[in-house]
Amino acid sequence: MDAPPFLRMSGVHKRYGGVTALAGADFAANAGTVHAVLGPNGSGKSTLLKVLTGVVAPDAGDVLLDGRPLRPKSPRDTLAAGVSAVYQELSLIEDFTVVDNLVLGVEPGRFGLRDARAARARALPWLERFAPAFGGRVPVDERVADLDPGERQVVEICKALVRDPRVLVLDEATASLRRRQVEVLFDVVGELRDQGVLVLFITHRLAEITALCDRATIMRGGTDVATVTVGEVPERELVELMSGTPAGAPGAAPAAERAAPEEGAAAPAVLLAVTDLAGPGLNGVSFTIRAGEVLGLGGLQGQGQSELLASLFGAARRTGGRVLLDGAPVHPRSPKQAVRAGLAYVPGNRGGQGLALGRPILENLALPSLGRRALLGVGLSRATEQAAARGVAARIGTTYGSLDDPVSTLSGGNQQKVVVGKWFPTEPVVVLMDDPAKGIDVGAKAEMFAVVRELAESGAAVIVGSSDDRELVEVCDRVLVLFEGRVVDEVQGDRLTEDTLIASAMHITQADVAAARTDDAASHLPDIDHDPVAAEQEQGT
Amino acid sequence: MSPPTAAPPAPQPDTPSPLARAGSRVASARMPTYAITGLLVVTVAATAMLQSGFFTAYGLSSTFATILPLATIAVAQTIIVLSGGIDLSIGTIVTLSSAVTVVLMEGDNARLPLAIAAGVAAGAACGLVNGLIVAVLRLQPIVATFATSFMFGGAALLVLPSPGGSASPVLTETYRMVLALIIPVPALLLLILWLVWRILRAHRVGQYLYAVGGSAAASYTSAVPVTRVRVLAYTLGGTVAALAGVALLADSGSGDPFIGNELTLGSIAALVIGGTRLRGGAGGAGGAILGAIVLSLIQGLVFFAGIPTDARELVYGGIMIAAIALAGLLTAGGPRQPGRTA
Repeated sequence: MDAPPFLRMSGVHKRYGGVTALAGADFAANAGTVHAVLGPNGSGKSTLLKVLTGVVAPDAGDVLLDGRPLRPKSPRDTLAAGVSAVYQELSLIEDFTVVDNLVLGVEPGRFGLRDARAARARALPWLERFAPAFGGRVPVDERVADLDPGERQVVEICKALVRDPRVLVLDEATASLRRRQVEVLFDVVGELRDQGVLVLFITHRLAEITALCDRATIMRGGTDVATVTVGEVPERELVELMSGTPAGAPGAAPAAERAAPEEGAAAPAVLLAVTDLAGPGLNGVSFTIRAGEVLGLGGLQGQGQSELLASLFGAARRTGGRVLLDGAPVHPRSPKQAVRAGLAYVPGNRGGQGLALGRPILENLALPSLGRRALLGVGLSRATEQAAARGVAARIGTTYGSLDDPVSTLSGGNQQKVVVGKWFPTEPVVVLMDDPAKGIDVGAKAEMFAVVRELAESGAAVIVGSSDDRELVEVCDRVLVLFEGRVVDEVQGDRLTEDTLIASAMHITQADVAAARTDDAASHLPDIDHDPVAAEQEQGT
Repeated sequence: MSPPTAAPPAPQPDTPSPLARAGSRVASARMPTYAITGLLVVTVAATAMLQSGFFTAYGLSSTFATILPLATIAVAQTIIVLSGGIDLSIGTIVTLSSAVTVVLMEGDNARLPLAIAAGVAAGAACGLVNGLIVAVLRLQPIVATFATSFMFGGAALLVLPSPGGSASPVLTETYRMVLALIIPVPALLLLILWLVWRILRAHRVGQYLYAVGGSAAASYTSAVPVTRVRVLAYTLGGTVAALAGVALLADSGSGDPFIGNELTLGSIAALVIGGTRLRGGAGGAGGAILGAIVLSLIQGLVFFAGIPTDARELVYGGIMIAAIALAGLLTAGGPRQPGRTA
């Protein structure tokens, strides 16, 4: 390949506060190819493509498109240069019709007056091409708010295509699509490739890469580790490149050391027994967890991990199944009932759900256990509150100036420790954590997981959902791999390595896709569970 | 615009087809229009009964003379609210514009065009200031425009320290004219205002107002110039508000340095009754005009119903709450939309 590549990105750096997202990543791709960008969660692949589309401004680095430097100040500039992206977070206006969304920002017309007929003429070919993805109809004049998540994603794809891109970025575009929709998309991507369009494709699904992509660049830790030709490299090697450990090697697995803590002694009591739990995003989950155990929820993102935790905590509706807490059935219908039953919940979105950011550290630490110290709802004294808060702060090792400072003055890691530590005084039986380390730096992460282990050692059972496989390996005794709302694998002991987790999540997807190709009427179509209207009606009855 | 048939409420099949779902939602989205139309019919009927001579040339003329300023300011506020903003200074923009106009006019017909042009320019400038503060400096619209309301109100006092000055005779006489025996000039102006709105709606800029108000982030990634659209929304709003100032001047005939200040919240009430969503992205000026008509008529009703002077405001407030609640109930009564609950 002597000709310079159509797209070249070199030395791209990007930091978000204390977190390095990109550390000198290089990337090159040719026109008329489908180029996959792979990597574990947090490897910087999404950030790299956001730099390309102008959504994120890099701290350093150059982008050359067709030999010309691209220094976008906003998505307007990249769109003008012929780069269109399909974003994970949708860029649709819900109140607009499909056609209005497709031409948004590029409305055809004269003197600025919109030409509705010309707009339809631009939108219709793509919508008709994707008609099988809309169940055979062409929803030109339907409002986007009335479409289901998969259909909205298809509209998003059509929107990118209406702009006649030279570079099309598909960032996890298949994640919420049904199989039929994926098939149409793959056909279209093949046609675009033949027309000389460069398609950049981010996905977690290995099967999609082998089916569709010509080349693949593997990202890890904010930089590119390899670029390969897809047909020439076995899948196994791709997985190894992504996880950074040769398959079969122990990897970062201290789990083996603490697995099976007591051989002779009687196993600790089962604290939580879940049987066939069903609800939105959950298709019958069963597992048990014992005192002192840290159980991980792994797998691809969005396969029911958050839904499972929310359902256990009474924050999401349960449509079936049984949950036994310490031997007694529980069915919390609100987080308040769940706390009373002995559950605690640590969200990943600490600013939004876990903390009252503007309020003092003292209040945040004391809040969940207020009821225990208050007499008939009143009679709180500042002294007991302070003593309680100080005890917790000491136990979790939070460094703070004064307990009266707002929580927002703490570092991210310390804030997260407060989110976990505030549950100590309530003596929870089972602690549920939903991606608790999201967006905090490595050091703080380690300290927070030390707090998690301490919770477990004090006799509680801890369930940790995480999008980071390394985290799961480091902190968990056992990991359940979820896919489409079901537990499809259980990994513990020597098998508990990053490598196994990635492979487990991947191979399931692959097998599943293969199975679906032969049998389209699969029994567990995810779109039924995700249909919000059906869900709402159930709620109503 | 053919009204869609109302969704069948009673039998809810287990899995309605996507089309049926879409149909029922389209109906629910039109609910505010039904609500405001119903309110309009009721208030017009009540007014016609209580106010003898309502349907005479004189009755219509004086009714529309009162309605036009409120309707215009409601349209101005609607443009801003649609884009996701709000303008608490809009009443003082009305005041400042009318003060500038009356001071320059000095009751002289020859100076009328220049004076109106200056008043409108003042309103546009105020809107531009608001827009730059909100969109470029990114201050919270509600407090930023609260602060600028004192600036504009204060400027109006500097221009016209005390009530006085007179509008040119041509302005006041034209405003009271009735064309073709039954069409008052203010009604005609209201129609023109609506037609101009329809042109804006058909224009790319009008579409961008809705897009930015619907989702600024999605608009940004779709290459909509979000900042410029916001600045433009406030500037257009200020310009239209200035026209309301001129209309007030034509109605009253003389200048007053507080003339429009109280209209700010009335403009918000009118657009809410007219079905515009306060957080932006949905609604329209047509509804706001109808909302302003309803509000104006209710105010008149309270007067003509013979309610004692001291109790009028209390009753007016009560009826207004009922009207807003009715509009809100009908909007919320439709099926909940997916994706909004998250």
